[in-house]
Amino acid sequence: MYRSKIHNEVQVTMNYNLNETASKTEQKKSTLAALTKLLGLIKEEKRTLIIAMIIILINAGLSLLGPFLIGHTIDTYIQSKQYHGVILFSGILLCMYITVFITNYLQITLMGGVGQRMLYSLRNAVFNKLQILPVDFFNQNKAGDLISRINNDTDKLNQFFSQSLMQFISSIFTMLGAGIFLLSINPELGAAALLPALVIWIFTKSISPWVKGKNAANLKSVGGLSAEIQESLNNFKVIVAFNRRDYFRKRFGEANQKNYATSVSAGLANNIFTPVYGLSSNIGQLIVLAFGIYLITTGQFTIGLLIGFLAYIYSFYQPLRQLAALWASFQVAMAGWDRISQILSLDTNLLVIEDQKTDSSSAYLSFRDVSFTYPNGKEVLHHVSFDLERGKTYAFVGPTGGGKTTTASLIARLYDASTGTVLLDGKDIRTYHPEERTAKIGFILQEPFLFSGTVRDNILYGNPEYRNLSNDELAEVIKESGLESLLVRFDEGLESKVQTSGDSISLGQKQLIAFMRSVLRKPQLLILDEATANIDTITEQLLESILQKLPSSTTRVIIAHRLNTIENADEIFFVNSGEVIPAGSLQDAVNLLLHGKRES
Amino acid sequence: MSNSIHQKEPGKQSKPNVFSLLKPYRGMITFLVIFALLSNGVNLLLPKIISRAIDAFTAGHFVFRTVVLEFSVAAFVIFFFTYLQSIVQTFASEKVARDLRTRLSDKISRQSYTYILKTNPSKLLTNLTSDIDSIKMFVSMAVVTIFSSIFMIVGTSVLLIRINYKLAVPIIAIIPIIGGTFFIVLKKVRVLFKRSREVIDWLNKVINESIMGSAIIRVLNAQQAEYHKFMEANTEARNLGLGILRLFAALIPIVTFTANLGMLVILMLGGHFVITGSMSLGDFAAFNSYLALLIFPILMIGFMSNIIAMASASYARINEVLEAPEIIETGTVKASLHGNIELINVSLSYGDKPILKDISFSVKGGTQVAIIGPTAAGKSQLLNLLTDLVKHDQGTILFDGRDIESYDKESFRSQIGFVLQDSVIFNMSLRENIAFSDKVTDESLEKAINTAELRDFVDSLPDKLNTIVSERGTSLSGGQKQRIMLARALAINPKIVLLDDFTARVDRETEKKILSNLEMNYPDLTLLSITQNIASVKHFEQIILLMEGEVIATGTHRELMETCTEYVQIENSQRSTSHYEL
Repeated sequence: MYRSKIHNEVQVTMNYNLNETASKTEQKKSTLAALTKLLGLIKEEKRTLIIAMIIILINAGLSLLGPFLIGHTIDTYIQSKQYHGVILFSGILLCMYITVFITNYLQITLMGGVGQRMLYSLRNAVFNKLQILPVDFFNQNKAGDLISRINNDTDKLNQFFSQSLMQFISSIFTMLGAGIFLLSINPELGAAALLPALVIWIFTKSISPWVKGKNAANLKSVGGLSAEIQESLNNFKVIVAFNRRDYFRKRFGEANQKNYATSVSAGLANNIFTPVYGLSSNIGQLIVLAFGIYLITTGQFTIGLLIGFLAYIYSFYQPLRQLAALWASFQVAMAGWDRISQILSLDTNLLVIEDQKTDSSSAYLSFRDVSFTYPNGKEVLHHVSFDLERGKTYAFVGPTGGGKTTTASLIARLYDASTGTVLLDGKDIRTYHPEERTAKIGFILQEPFLFSGTVRDNILYGNPEYRNLSNDELAEVIKESGLESLLVRFDEGLESKVQTSGDSISLGQKQLIAFMRSVLRKPQLLILDEATANIDTITEQLLESILQKLPSSTTRVIIAHRLNTIENADEIFFVNSGEVIPAGSLQDAVNLLLHGKRES
Repeated sequence: MSNSIHQKEPGKQSKPNVFSLLKPYRGMITFLVIFALLSNGVNLLLPKIISRAIDAFTAGHFVFRTVVLEFSVAAFVIFFFTYLQSIVQTFASEKVARDLRTRLSDKISRQSYTYILKTNPSKLLTNLTSDIDSIKMFVSMAVVTIFSSIFMIVGTSVLLIRINYKLAVPIIAIIPIIGGTFFIVLKKVRVLFKRSREVIDWLNKVINESIMGSAIIRVLNAQQAEYHKFMEANTEARNLGLGILRLFAALIPIVTFTANLGMLVILMLGGHFVITGSMSLGDFAAFNSYLALLIFPILMIGFMSNIIAMASASYARINEVLEAPEIIETGTVKASLHGNIELINVSLSYGDKPILKDISFSVKGGTQVAIIGPTAAGKSQLLNLLTDLVKHDQGTILFDGRDIESYDKESFRSQIGFVLQDSVIFNMSLRENIAFSDKVTDESLEKAINTAELRDFVDSLPDKLNTIVSERGTSLSGGQKQRIMLARALAINPKIVLLDDFTARVDRETEKKILSNLEMNYPDLTLLSITQNIASVKHFEQIILLMEGEVIATGTHRELMETCTEYVQIENSQRSTSHYEL
């Protein structure tokens, strides 16, 4: 009835290793396409952007007008000694300067605001994506590299948007205006003067992918550096205890040196624009001078026009020089955006599938011919089938590395089976919405993780039902669940401080918090994966009695190798070498443990 | 959870100045400034060449080739020096960044374990990445710009005064106005910059926890909660960004406006002078063009002040780390340890919270000792004290009769194998993970692997010891990680081994084998083992019962069974299964 063929249709294979997928996505993606995608993120800013554009235009126009008005005043009034005209035009200029003051303020506020808000939505989008992606993604990427992508790379985009974009736009406007002037004064000379600009355009176009590549390599090495720091600092205890401070220095030194090398080559690549643009601009002036004088000798041009022409050449090439610097920061931003969109383009491979027909068996959870292979190619489970009945207690025992945790992870759907089906309450586990599924299944992980905050924050983590209870009400609930004797072990009860890293809280205490957290959620199926391994045996008996008090319909799955924790199990499964075999009795399990072929 | 951002005041005792960072790079910076001034200087020649050419042309003695030659030479000289400047600039800024990172990491690597915990790795990560970046930006952009801007401002001011001092004075007066505005705004911005760095620490922490806790978040379907936490930090970051923006949005228009007013003054006052005949039209025109030259550098300094403010805030944060007091190792004794350990009235507390109270016991070299006790009794902390990772507050810890402080730490720790409770696996080959110390020989590596019962596992791997294991060790099972930790501790051929709840993740059969391997392969070893399981340590020479930070009883299994009710209680809790003698 449950054939693996249904499964194959849904199985989504996804490579989550960002550094492996990098080279693939990089190829052949036009800047324009990337930019369009980026602008999609700030759709709602369209109005603001349009207003900002208009203001930038006004500002650029007025700024160009100023020198013209001053020139006019000098020519017409000062030279003819009419002071009232000077005062009149000073008044006009003052009004204009006040307008410039306002537009200047507005353009910075508007564009900067767009930049900040874009950074905000970009970070949110990336973080949101991180929450959608499955555990597999985190196992394949380093924390430091991910942090670097969310923080550093988004910031590169922000820098471009809030600081450079404004200059970028106004430079382009000024340039276009001057270019049109040049061509209209004398098309021949104008075209000649703009020739170097064409060369620049070709140069920029052909060199940009290379520059972007250098920046991408640099951002990658920044990610690597951050990953290195992250790993070493989090494992500092071992580094000190084993006298390997030099190890930290050496590993960091290598990453630092690598980062230095890529940064220098990215810096050199980025800095190539400025001198080249400057040279072209000067050559443009030389062409105008030489060609202009030639035109004058042939009588097609006047000396007065040449002087004016030279001034416009300046207003054409000056913004172009600024563009050189901006273009480099644009390339950096695009390289950062590539790294971010790599994450954004990933999707979860744990999709919710269409409702299948329900299974009539009474089992609450069943494995049907389940095999599982980790992304690194290691097959951990081979054709496993078993049933777990409602309200019973099951123990999974077996040597380390036999597949116990993997089995539990499949029950909680942290992964999907490679082939075969996992049924929860008669339905394929993949048909459940995450909310429904996680409410039914409680899973106490082998390595407890606490969020920084208080004990209260942590035991109510992911528990919407009790989140808004006052401490007194919560204490009542805790008492009802029989957990109050566990809470006593924290000096300040619910308000005891918890740090993610460090020694302020012991591993045993972490396990107690994880235990309380799971019990308070009242799951239908509770998995304890070595969940009490670091808790003393007396407390463990207490936990045992709390487990007994769970509603009679609760199914318990206990993974342990301490026999006393499993002696009350209704059924024992022996998990070894990727197989799950029912052991008749505790004695059977012991025999299997002692004499069964172990593979670890 | 709490959005507490520590509003710590920076150490007021020394005011770190970003410019002081540049001292060791004086040579490079000098070249940088010279190249910049040269290219800028030659740039000023170009208009001269053009105007001379035009003058010559109108005068009729225009020589085409000379002009083209002069101009081309100037253009290429400019190109050459700008290019050179950009190269030096890149190297200088990257060198400063790299060296500062090295200094920081050196400093961090010499700090104590407790310092790292207190300072919080997320903040150190920001120090080593974002903070350094803003300093890099300072070196690559601000330094040159400021030098050439000051040069231009002084130069043009002198020229203005020489042309007409009466007109020059009101123009030069705008410089302090602009300077004052900058001063006020930057003072406000500094606070915001510092805070925005702290918000980045905060963001890092949230991201970090959501990555480390990714499995539990998915089990509990708490993605929404994480998203909210992130939103909170991110919103704060955005608001700060907008706050900084508002300040700068006011600053730059004010500067431009002031400069424009300067233009007006020239027009009105200068115009008046020209009309009354006290100034020539040529001087007036020159005044105008020089004003443009004066304003541009002022604006540039304005833009750069943003970068300088950011860099100063970052440098202050980095300096806090650089100037933190270092642990002073006074110990010099490098003697080989026999394993005699004695604790006399040792106490430890975290803040007001006592962790260990008046602990006294002694361990004879070469014996096996178990430490038993309930969760949070302070067992792991006791091991932290014995490895000197954490300093005790009171009492004395003696190794072979000498105070722990008198030992040279490196030699001391190289004789102690510490197996932590949490598995720490580095992202490198299995060999490097186990032979974590450079003093490990192939022989001792082999012995450690065999003792930790890892031989079969290693042989089952396609690349054997060269297999790369992952950051969080997810490709390994809990028991495998634990045994790698043990092998790592044994590989240094220790005199003393400290096991922190080693048995928790290893099945009893393997544990038994490992214990007998230990006795066989490391006969003189002193073993201190924290455990929950009495059965496996019954034969140990001494068992110490620790509860709520106090030693309740010490003795052999038999002695404790007779004298200590708490011990009997623990024993009873394990008795039910003990007929399955394993």
